[in-house]
Amino acid sequence: MKTIAIDRLPDLAQALSKAGYRVVAPVDEGGVVRLREWTKGLALALDAVPVNSVKDVLFPRSEVVARFALEESGGFTPAPLERSAPKTVVLCARPCDAAALSALDAVFNWDYRDGSYNARRAATTVVSLACFKADEHCFCTSVNGAPDGTAGADALLRPADGGKKLVFEALSDKGRQLEAMVSDGQAVPDAPAALKRRFDSAAVGRWLASNFESPFWKEAALACLGCGACAYACPVCHCFDLQDESDKKECRRLRNWDSCGFGLFTLHASGHNPRPDQSARWRQRVTHKFSIYPQKFKTFACTGCGRCARLCQAGMAIAETCERIEALGR
Amino acid sequence: MNDDLYKPFLMRIESARDEAPDVRTFRLKFADEGARAEFFGRYRVGQFGLYGVPGEGESTFCVASPPTRADYIECTFRKVGRVTQALQDLEVGQALTFRGPYGNHFPIDSWKGRDLLFIAGGIALPPMRSVIWNILDRRAEFGKVAVVYGARSVADLVYKQELAEWAARPDMTLVTTVDPGGQTPDWKGKVGFVPAVLKELSPAAKNCVAVLCGPPIMIKLTLPVLAGRGFAPQDIYTTLENRMKCGVGKCGRCNVGSVYVCKDGPVFTLDELSRLPAGDM
Amino acid sequence: MMKALREAAAKLLQEKRAVLVIGYADRKGRPAVFVSKPEDCGRLVYDSSCRQNLAAYLGKPELRARLPVAVVAPPAVLRSLVVLTAESQIPAGQVLALAVDHDAFLGVFDAAGAAELLRSKFPDLGPEKALLERVAELSKKSAAERAAFWAEEFAKCTRCYACRAACPGCYCSRCIVEKNAPQWVSTAALGHGNYTWNVMRAFHQSGRCTLCGACEAACPQGLPLMVLNAVLDREALAEFDARPGYDPEGKPVIGSWSAEDDHSYMR
Repeated sequence: MKTIAIDRLPDLAQALSKAGYRVVAPVDEGGVVRLREWTKGLALALDAVPVNSVKDVLFPRSEVVARFALEESGGFTPAPLERSAPKTVVLCARPCDAAALSALDAVFNWDYRDGSYNARRAATTVVSLACFKADEHCFCTSVNGAPDGTAGADALLRPADGGKKLVFEALSDKGRQLEAMVSDGQAVPDAPAALKRRFDSAAVGRWLASNFESPFWKEAALACLGCGACAYACPVCHCFDLQDESDKKECRRLRNWDSCGFGLFTLHASGHNPRPDQSARWRQRVTHKFSIYPQKFKTFACTGCGRCARLCQAGMAIAETCERIEALGR
Repeated sequence: MNDDLYKPFLMRIESARDEAPDVRTFRLKFADEGARAEFFGRYRVGQFGLYGVPGEGESTFCVASPPTRADYIECTFRKVGRVTQALQDLEVGQALTFRGPYGNHFPIDSWKGRDLLFIAGGIALPPMRSVIWNILDRRAEFGKVAVVYGARSVADLVYKQELAEWAARPDMTLVTTVDPGGQTPDWKGKVGFVPAVLKELSPAAKNCVAVLCGPPIMIKLTLPVLAGRGFAPQDIYTTLENRMKCGVGKCGRCNVGSVYVCKDGPVFTLDELSRLPAGDM
Repeated sequence: MMKALREAAAKLLQEKRAVLVIGYADRKGRPAVFVSKPEDCGRLVYDSSCRQNLAAYLGKPELRARLPVAVVAPPAVLRSLVVLTAESQIPAGQVLALAVDHDAFLGVFDAAGAAELLRSKFPDLGPEKALLERVAELSKKSAAERAAFWAEEFAKCTRCYACRAACPGCYCSRCIVEKNAPQWVSTAALGHGNYTWNVMRAFHQSGRCTLCGACEAACPQGLPLMVLNAVLDREALAEFDARPGYDPEGKPVIGSWSAEDDHSYMR
């Protein structure tokens, strides 16, 4: 058995740093828990869902996907693109974030393989930290996940001995590469958080596939103000925009996060918008996560992390929508 | 397939032709033979691409020329916004970027031996023109070929030169029409909306495939005419358009229900279309 | 207080003086609730944990189609309703305020009545003490330190525009960041674009911001947006005597000009 005392985690992070890994970990930034590059001295925050997700590591908010050198005459030549994929360990990822990576792997490799995502995925070792508690927004067990789920992760740290220790379980070759940094020991694993299932996601998916025109959607999104907070915080949401930015010398074609909740997302040049109001856009969000994505990729585009509900001031909680849908379906 | 998804082909404008107010056709050549061969190794009729001007962005149009003409590709588009304006500001000889071919295609091999009926409206002729030329370039493989094309006015008809060529060909039938009020004094074609003209034509459904492209209202009114003539939903083809950015099924923008227009489309049979939520179009 | 608020709301619906009441739900986080039946007014609550500015919903086409509307309004929201009236964003007589404050229901008011209530009971509303202390702390730093502080904060911005969505003052049907000919502001969530977005939005609210704090509450990254708003609020007051929300016919500072304005900076 490989174990580490919980207060020695910073030592493990330091050892990983020394071994040449960039360490990304949840850090307490004055009350806000954020996943960020860890450096010695930063306080790890282990019992909260960070405001951002592991998706940030593999699919950054903004990324240059093509570059061109511009000529005075108006011409251009393609410029080389440096792919940045530093050797990284995400330490103490929530299992829902790791599970989200499995979902993202599917879309980023759907026939066309996204080279930069895959390069980062290959260079990143995800060490999950099993959850020994959950809050009222968590619902991983409703979407085939678990507080100690292993999907998408290379290793799992399991709280043990009443939270004083962590048991390190390697789940993949990448995870096994880290074993040497964790000492042998003995500990009794604690029970992970007990999270009651809130809704039957398969039933929700079935209802969604055949109730597109339901009047349910009319009132369902009255509170939604159409920002991108939920989509950006979500570990699975991956919609993006492509925009060119240039100065006199260079053009950068950027891939930036986007959200189906924005009014302009599907607006045609003709002025026609297939999703002209927030109820249509909310319907798209829910249907994509619980019906469309599973139809295509056999997995929900939601891992129950609860970030959307936790941070939405307007109370748009996707789990609640699913509960209401399940009730409608009965 | 294709690790660096956003790396475009470089194209040069060989010629440009104004088709109608704000509508222009470009004939584009690939910057090098390797690129040309790579593209035509994959290209099937009905596919689309993203045409771009570095610094301005990319815009999605069909490839308006067929794979049987493998020296060049053509695109026809209306100036409606920033990128299309920038494209139309380009001169012959200047370069632009192209990503593609993307999407599915018209299964023309399965149409061999069958009669073909093409119905198009306005700026929707370009995707059709690609498949019409593909058929005409392989004429002997197919049965009767008929094209019904209408626009708001004579000025709005695109590919006017080609319409004249098609009208002169003995191996196909062309019917052109303009909306009432859109005719000029010397207009020799029909006057009337496409669905009405089609009804008058009374096409035979037996062993016939219909391909239909046009504004939503035209499609809506034409489908009952075809149904009335006995065309089966799986024998009616159309193309869907939607706002696109990546073209490769990742940016999440173009889905109609569970179908991604850029990957599962843009070519659909009416049978497939009828299973999609109309409220998401 | 709740009883009085709920009864007043129910009465408005019964008398058809409103077809919809926008209030705060009796749920954790106090999200918005939309009540159209008098018997559902029991769902309305108000307390100091209510952080949304419900006036922001008046920009939503789905709700504009359901006027007249009544909005549960603490003082900052009352000010927003008055500002929106002054900026011709609310059709006359179509929005009523169910005025509340801490533990009191203060009555039903139209825009003019709300302004009068504010002038008599809540004159000179400004940034709260705690916020002013945050501004003071930051002001002690050198310009270089402050620049570094904001660079670090803005680096966290993901351009989700939750701040914009939460703000009743942000009602542009097409925001400047959504315009691409030209693209005035970079849409990438990187350095200069983030700086421009956040500082520019604060400037677009200067002299109009009612200090409701909804933007900062909505920000998923915890950006200290109210610091920017507080600074500009005090500047607008000092330079232009701007008191947004006290006059339903008041002209917005950034949307009006007077011959008496200081022009010495033009050379």
